[in-house]
Amino acid sequence: MNAYINTYELLCDAGDTKSLMEAVYNKESALVIDNSYIKDATAGLGKMEYEDIFTVMDAVTAKVLKESNLENFHNTLLILGSSVGGMQECEQIFYSEKSFKNIDPNRYSMNALSDYLMKKFNFYDTRALSTACTSSANALLLAKRLIEVEAYENILVMGVDGLCYSTVLGFYALSVLSDKKCTPFDKNRNGMNVAEAVGALLIQNVKQSDSIELKGVGASSDAYHMTNPDPEAGGAIASMENAIADAGLDIGEIDYVNAHGTATIANDRVESLAIEKLFGKNVYVSSTKAITGHTLGAAGAIEAIISCEVLKHAMIPPQTGLKELENQNINVPVQSIEMNIRNVISNSFAFGGNNTSIVFGV
Amino acid sequence: MKLYIKNYSSYRSDQEDINIKQVLKQKYKLDTRRQDDFIHLALYGAQLLKEKTVIRADDELYVTSGYGDVDVVQRTNTYVNKEKQPVKLFDFINLLGNTTSYYVAKSLNISGKNIFQISDNFTYINSLISLYASIRNSQKDAILCAIDLASTPTEVSKRVLGVDEDAETVSSVNYQKFSLDAEDAIAEIEFDMKTYSLDEVNTMLAEENRTVLSSIRCMKLQSLKDSKFFETLASYAVNSAMKKNEDMVYIDCFEEKYKILKLKSLR
Repeated sequence: MNAYINTYELLCDAGDTKSLMEAVYNKESALVIDNSYIKDATAGLGKMEYEDIFTVMDAVTAKVLKESNLENFHNTLLILGSSVGGMQECEQIFYSEKSFKNIDPNRYSMNALSDYLMKKFNFYDTRALSTACTSSANALLLAKRLIEVEAYENILVMGVDGLCYSTVLGFYALSVLSDKKCTPFDKNRNGMNVAEAVGALLIQNVKQSDSIELKGVGASSDAYHMTNPDPEAGGAIASMENAIADAGLDIGEIDYVNAHGTATIANDRVESLAIEKLFGKNVYVSSTKAITGHTLGAAGAIEAIISCEVLKHAMIPPQTGLKELENQNINVPVQSIEMNIRNVISNSFAFGGNNTSIVFGV
Repeated sequence: MKLYIKNYSSYRSDQEDINIKQVLKQKYKLDTRRQDDFIHLALYGAQLLKEKTVIRADDELYVTSGYGDVDVVQRTNTYVNKEKQPVKLFDFINLLGNTTSYYVAKSLNISGKNIFQISDNFTYINSLISLYASIRNSQKDAILCAIDLASTPTEVSKRVLGVDEDAETVSSVNYQKFSLDAEDAIAEIEFDMKTYSLDEVNTMLAEENRTVLSSIRCMKLQSLKDSKFFETLASYAVNSAMKKNEDMVYIDCFEEKYKILKLKSLR
């Protein structure tokens, strides 16, 4: 049984899907330099304007339902990936009241977001995955496997993370947070930008006229170091190889890599090496995190939607912010390239060497 | 959906009072620095499983929990806001779900896929469904770690789980190694993604000869229930039945919906 992405929508710092893709192709970063999260320091962040993350989820979910072939989600499984779940609201209450007493448990834990949507839209069932920056990529992986074994016909995959102090300050403590707009793959990059987003993709077992096929999924675990990837790129290579093999494709059939490309020193160096070893210069590579920032648990879903759009637009996105490419043995375009794009691979890599790659195609 | 269980390990804090960190350091010679109690509990269960069965590098790993590591969330918020301290680096790292699966994977020398799935509804059964769907494709074996740490104070975790404040929560970690292959299996476990109404469950149970256990969430169901609570109790019940070579039916409930798993001993 094949899995098809039939409807999707997102909201991020650059707006909805249409606005985001305009920003991606026009190289207009939506990141901002913020001084409200870190005492006496600035940070590049990807911020949205909203009341709370729950209302953003409502809006995105409702839009996907409206544009789908479903009347409701009663026979749909919800798989939601998030790195911090309801942490944002928990922090807000705790910070104002200095106590956990009034924190609503139904809006607090990792699975609070999926529980909320389950009740609101009456989904048949839910799963909440939390593997940090691979959370919603792993949700896509699981969705494909569940469609394959015919457990479900309709699965809504969501990636959700709202900005919160714990993540911004945590990445700052790790010294990987940039005080500027991030510049993936640049020789002089100085770190990542934490960001927030909500993305949703309806995966179904039926093909529609404008479907994008979720062709292959692959994962690997470095188990090398808690925060650093395997310097030989073994985990990243295995993840991409597994996804391409799962899709039944040859390496040469991939036209574009939507890279994890966080702009940290370690990630971009290792991911570049993995792409160099696997593809050489025979594939275009760029990271859209220069526009969106790193949306953490939502990144897999957001970049899956970007990958679908790249296939539909038949246009390779340029690398925003790139001045001097660090690894000259990979092909990172600085201008959009129109071409017939057959297959796209999207990478998501997380702490602990938790790697997931997804292949999309037409 | 059917899986075979090759081996298992179990620990419950109310049945065995040990200093887990000390055991990890002294008996298993593991580096326990920079880790908190949740990770130590997961590692302890992993070591117990490792003593009983062969772990392969390409085994898949799933870690599932009712509410994850609530202690580290509380600690982080207290540091940042109450005590005006910056986030401690390893609190931030330990906050993330895949930190636990990383340490478990490293201690078991696993380089296959690892997933951390968290839920306060059908935690164990839904993880089995995920695991089954994955290894049907990969044809590999998979290890499932079901873990819950009774946090202090317990009122927070009870509110997160939505259980009665009088309920006694305990810490527990339970592992099973699953396969699609029946060879050398000690039990087979059957489950599906379908949810049932109370009436449907009662109809099925009317003809059931096996021991029937259920979560304390199944308040309307007449069946045996453990007096203590942790979200992944189903995993403990499976291990307990295997230990006694018993067949068993386990029922979980969430918001008036029921799911069933059936265990058949092969010994």
